[in-house]
Parts: sequence; structure tokens; C-alpha cells
Amino acid sequence: MPHRWGMTVDLDRCTGCGACVTACHAENNIAVVGDVQAAKSRAMHWIRVERYWEGDFPDVRLKFRPVMCQQCDAAPCEPVCPTYASHHTDEGLNAQVYNRCIGTRYCANACPYNVRFFDFYNPKWPRPLHLQLNPDVSVREVGVMEKCTFCVQRISAAEIDAKAEKRELKDGEIEPACVQSCSAKALVFGDLNDPESEVSRLSRSTRGAKLLEELGTLPKVTYLARQTQV
Amino acid sequence: MIRAVRRASAVVVCALLAGACSITDPTQQVSPAVYSPAHRTAADAAREFFTIRSKPEQPIPFPHKTHIAKKALCTDCHESVEKGPIAGIPSVKTCMICHSQIATDKPLIKQVTAYADKGIEIPWQRVYGFTHESHVRFNHAPHIRASVDCATCHGDLAQQTVAERSVNHTMGFCVNCHAAKKAPNDCLTCHY
Repeated sequence: MPHRWGMTVDLDRCTGCGACVTACHAENNIAVVGDVQAAKSRAMHWIRVERYWEGDFPDVRLKFRPVMCQQCDAAPCEPVCPTYASHHTDEGLNAQVYNRCIGTRYCANACPYNVRFFDFYNPKWPRPLHLQLNPDVSVREVGVMEKCTFCVQRISAAEIDAKAEKRELKDGEIEPACVQSCSAKALVFGDLNDPESEVSRLSRSTRGAKLLEELGTLPKVTYLARQTQV
Repeated sequence: MIRAVRRASAVVVCALLAGACSITDPTQQVSPAVYSPAHRTAADAAREFFTIRSKPEQPIPFPHKTHIAKKALCTDCHESVEKGPIAGIPSVKTCMICHSQIATDKPLIKQVTAYADKGIEIPWQRVYGFTHESHVRFNHAPHIRASVDCATCHGDLAQQTVAERSVNHTMGFCVNCHAAKKAPNDCLTCHY
């Protein structure tokens, strides 16, 4: 049976530290666009930590919610792509193929989660900072759309290793950069087709909810609601 | 009339080249102190588009043929080919494992020894490799495990002296083999 990759985000555990955002930037060669472009809403963060203030002063509470590509099973970004750059893989990932992308940006307009980012300019790294680029991930050039891949380079590497050692993938063996860096262990990644996996167990929780579930996008990221009143 | 058409087409080609290397915005030009996937010049962009590549000039004309005739295996020098993505260009130390003893009087070996004595690597030039814009993440190890012969992608090096780009690594070349061997053929297998 093919894998079906999914994630759970425990909002009780998230402290809003932003380590996932930093790790994602480092792992996936995401360009930092600078203040001028960021003011034009062109900042690129494949994962972001949303902040919500609740209540009135002095009774305010701050809530955090990390949002990345929800890897929808019925993804609105896919049918709008004229070149099939945005497509669904057998393992349920919303793939973005940079070679095919011609930059129509239809997908970003169709995405209700605002997690697709367009390269308005070629990214730049002052030398020798380019040496920290991850060789396992493409550096995207101007005119293509990019998004969270669930760190497909790590999935692919783990699958190759498992095949070489003639064994099945273990639960928790694959950790996307955000999951790996989450010190509170709020993020859990795994195979939703394996009923015994940690991510399956958590996504069956009664606390679980999907973002904008009513749109029928069938996301594979489950958010576990806050229970504590801090 | 013909001249006008020719002039118009030249303008179109120039506009396309300018677009290809994104020199339309002067604030986005790239200095050598900055790394960017942008093409340095319009000519670079055109060469990449038409996959025109210069022939690599090796510092020492390494004879693959001679080594293979002496029963050396590919993996003796390209050591990491079975372990990971990159096959590896051997260090001068690898050369010296044999050539500190063998054929030390030959002029080419003396050049190798000179590099080793100075403690610097021989500046070998890459022969194969995908362009930046092809966005291909290739891994040697699974191909070796699937018992794909080196010659399938690199040509018969027993007949070559200096390695040449004898096989054209187009996407069709990869996809046909993947289809024949029932290997995964999803875009995400290679492009990410």
C-alpha cells in the first residue's frame, strides 16, 4: 500500500517560538526577500506562525497556529494549473514541479490557506553564504511558484535508504525540518495509511480539526485544539 | 521587406534573451559577490536554453582506457557511487595509492606527483551534470543497486581516454529507462 503522508499540529504544545520557520528556510533554500518586497506581501515562508490575540486588556491571551501547505486531497491549486506543474503524487503530496511552472499564479489565487509563494525576483545570497544552501533542494529562479513539500527530499532519501536495507519505513523515521526542530514536539509527521502510526493516532483525536474544512479541500494536516487555559 | 522581417525577429530574440536572464530590472543585476541562479549574460541564457555546453578541458589527459585495460574498476576511484548521490572525483591521494609505485617515470604521472607533493588537488573539470534550471536531484546509489551498468549513462569508457559526454542525459533518456525497468516515473522522483 502506498504511503499517505500527513501531519498533526498540537496547538496546546506550540509555544510560537518560530524554530520551524527558521528550520524550513534553512532546509529548503527559501529566499529572504527583504523589507521592500515583504511590504508588498511577497515574503516567502513555507511555514508561518499565525498569532491570535483573544480577550481585552488585561485579560488577553495569545494563541499561536503554525500554518504550512495542508497537502489537500482535493487541492484547489491543482485543477487550475494549466501546465500540471501543481499535481498530486501517489503518496498524496501536492507536488510543485518548478520545470513545468510558467508562473501564471493561478494556484496561489486558488489556495485558501495562502501558502503558495511566487518568486518575483531571482533569489540572492551574498557569497560565501551560498555555501549553506542545501544541495538536496533546488534553488528556485524567478517566475516560478514554490510551496511546502513536506520535505520531499527527506522522504525520498529515507525511502531509498529503507529500500537499500530491504526493510519497511519505520514510523517517525522521516522528519521534515519543521518537525525535527520543534522543541515542544507540537508537530508530528507520518503515514496516515498506517493505523498504528503516531500521526494516525493523533489525527483520530476528538480534539482534531482541519483548517477551513467546510471548503471540502480534505487537508492532510490536523490541528489539535487547545485545552489548557493559561 | 525581408530585411524588415529579419530586423523584427532580431528584436524579438533580443527581448526573449533579456527576459531569460532578467536584465530588464537594473536593480536586480547580480554582482560577482552575490550568488544567484540568474544567468550572468544573455549569451549564457541562450547556451543553457539550447543546451550548448563547452567541452571540459582536463588539466591532465586522464586515460580511462589504460586503467580499465589494467582491470581497475570504476568503483576503485569513484568511491562513493554505491553509497550516495555523488560518484565522486578521486582525490590526488587516491591516484598516489598506486602511482607512488607504478609508472613513476612517465611524464603524466610526474605531473600527478607534482600535485601530490604540493598538497593540492588536481583541478578536474566536470564532464556530466545537470544544469541549474533542470532542477534534477540525481542519486547514483539506487541506480547502482538496481544494477544499471555505468556504461548505460556514461558510455563505454574502455574505449575513451579522457571522459567525454558521449551520452546525452535528456529527460526522455531517463524516463524511457525508468518506464522499461518499472521504476517510479512521477515528476517528484527527480524534480524537487
